[in-house]
Amino acid sequence: MIDNGLLVQMLLGALLGLSVYLPLAAGQLSLATPAFYAVGGTLAALLSTRWSALGATASGGFPVPSLLLELVLGGLLAGLLALLVGRLVLRLQGIYLAIATIALVEIVRVAILNLPFTGGAVGIFAIPQPFATAAGYLLPALALLALAGWVCQRLEGMPLGRAMAAIRDDELAARCMGIDTTGAKLTAFVLSAVLAGSTGALAAHFLNTWNARQGSFDASITTLAFVILGGSRTWLGPVVGGLLLTALPELLRPVGDVRLVLFGLVILLGPVLAPQGLITPGLLERLGRWGEGGKP
Amino acid sequence: MRQRGALRLAALLAAGIGALAWLGRSSDPAAKPLSAGPLTLGAAIAFTGNANLYGQDQRMGLAVAERWAQQSAPGGRPVRLQLEDGASDEPSAIAAFNLLIRQGVIALIGPTLSQQAFAADPIAQRQGVPVVAPSNTAQGIPEIGHFISRVSAQSSVIAPLSLDEALRRDPAIQRVAVFYAQDDAYSTAEVAIFQKALAARGLTPVTVQRTQLADNDFQTPITATLPLKPQLVVLSVQAVAGGNLIRQLRELGYRGQIVVGNGLNTPNIYPICQRWCDGILIAQAYSPELNTPVNRRFLQLFQQAHGDRPPPQITAQAFTAYQVLFEAIQRLQRKGGLTGVTLGQARANLMSELLSGTYNTPLGPIGFSPEGEVLQDRFYVAEVRMAPGGRDGRFALVRERTLTEIPGQESKP
Repeated sequence: MIDNGLLVQMLLGALLGLSVYLPLAAGQLSLATPAFYAVGGTLAALLSTRWSALGATASGGFPVPSLLLELVLGGLLAGLLALLVGRLVLRLQGIYLAIATIALVEIVRVAILNLPFTGGAVGIFAIPQPFATAAGYLLPALALLALAGWVCQRLEGMPLGRAMAAIRDDELAARCMGIDTTGAKLTAFVLSAVLAGSTGALAAHFLNTWNARQGSFDASITTLAFVILGGSRTWLGPVVGGLLLTALPELLRPVGDVRLVLFGLVILLGPVLAPQGLITPGLLERLGRWGEGGKP
Repeated sequence: MRQRGALRLAALLAAGIGALAWLGRSSDPAAKPLSAGPLTLGAAIAFTGNANLYGQDQRMGLAVAERWAQQSAPGGRPVRLQLEDGASDEPSAIAAFNLLIRQGVIALIGPTLSQQAFAADPIAQRQGVPVVAPSNTAQGIPEIGHFISRVSAQSSVIAPLSLDEALRRDPAIQRVAVFYAQDDAYSTAEVAIFQKALAARGLTPVTVQRTQLADNDFQTPITATLPLKPQLVVLSVQAVAGGNLIRQLRELGYRGQIVVGNGLNTPNIYPICQRWCDGILIAQAYSPELNTPVNRRFLQLFQQAHGDRPPPQITAQAFTAYQVLFEAIQRLQRKGGLTGVTLGQARANLMSELLSGTYNTPLGPIGFSPEGEVLQDRFYVAEVRMAPGGRDGRFALVRERTLTEIPGQESKP
């Protein structure tokens, strides 16, 4: 059975899946999400444990407005970093971009490990709690997911979203039609970073502790798997992928020691059986038409 | 059409998440009365991820402890063990703790890594579930809260003992080289203690080499070190890396003494460094050669299950974690602290009982400070002696040390 703590982890997974999806919607395979997640998480961990003006109490409590402020600041800082880095790395394409973003993840990880104020390898612990139970985190996580989903849905009808789709189909053709491809790609990259940064800020409080291991190359691959399994053509794909793949190892606990073997099997079979992912545009079309009784 | 489909699916997902949130809202059966049947101890140990080498050793210790408990107290309150994989990362440890707490365990053992403890222990603390950590050695674990305790002594207590042994063997040592993995929590914490202990003995390292957790090739740091002519090498790295580092040090011509930290406190290093392991010095919180009734019993049960080899320290510590909880439960049962109470009250009673008792364990006599820090005064310095073939070896006890000061108190922040 899924308890509220696991549900929060699932929602965080869905948010990270969306963060990988956004650059991918503009045809850019970026694995930098964990780097921005780590930046947001580290900022929240530092602010809440070191900056007493945010109102952390001695008993480990934390005001909710301060949490919201951290979500905004975490997103802003990650977005700023993406703006600076994006201008450079988005000149690369395909596998070269993927490698450059992996390098970014590694640079951020090593920096967090070695900065004098981030606690080294142990990290920052005793992060104050805005909510007494895990259920409290459901509301901000759901709100963040709803906001991100709304933005993604709106994008489909906006010039920016259409430009992103055009770049994904054929970047050269898009540029020939006068689309500012650099601007569109950079915007998608920054949006992805803002989302990952805010998610990290929320995760830091939820996890009680934060260290350099949170944003690693492993996390890049896990978050990419959310998008591959869920489907990269609609924003609901990564959401479903993130929810399912985060829950699966926990739901498989009854099978014992082979649970991660089964988990690996699902990741292997998913793309074989559903190459487009679980949620495809065709599925959404059928779902939209469902209940109309075969009218043309 | 597609947009309507997306909206429908999004609404469906939102409804699903809402239903899951509602169904999963009751997380803890603490308010229910304690049932009369067997009590459940939950253990969240790393069976997967890079800490599983330690988790497997801990699993052996818990299994032996279960057999010991069945035989040692017939007629007492029966206790059963629920094992869950806490993996090696923070979210898995949190999920395992949540799951076990929801199943109504009376106390928890775990998690394997200190970093996981900083994530999962606050959850147990908030819900008032006693935790006994079998292998967390970082500073600040019992300070998480009243319900958090450990049976694994901090590195600050143990590590300097092996240095003393090396200096006793060669008082002329002046030139010391230090190696540690800079991206590992255990390693960075322990090396700070080694360096402090070196400074207290008037020694300044000629070099401090920083390696990475995943490194297996150490030619560069070693060739940078050897021209400095170290007389003693101090290593604080995990088991696999440590085995390789020792082997490469010897192969590249280092002949002096080697002192290693707690990460190499496992027989799993023998196949890696083979005959090159011979003679390394290590301080331990457990010695198989301790001649007490409970340790002889532990050895006997362990060897029945796993053949004729001595149990590793981490196995003995896992056994001890189970043992202290089991004995506290039996004492509480006799005092009547488990009758007519809710599960939540039983957990609170168990925690006070646990901290107030003293225990004769395979680690020697131990107790707890009011914060939950282990009070252990007997430690050991061992030397690895490899068998002639170089395939197998043992930790041979060279010195037993009784500390007069209380371990938990010298290292408080």
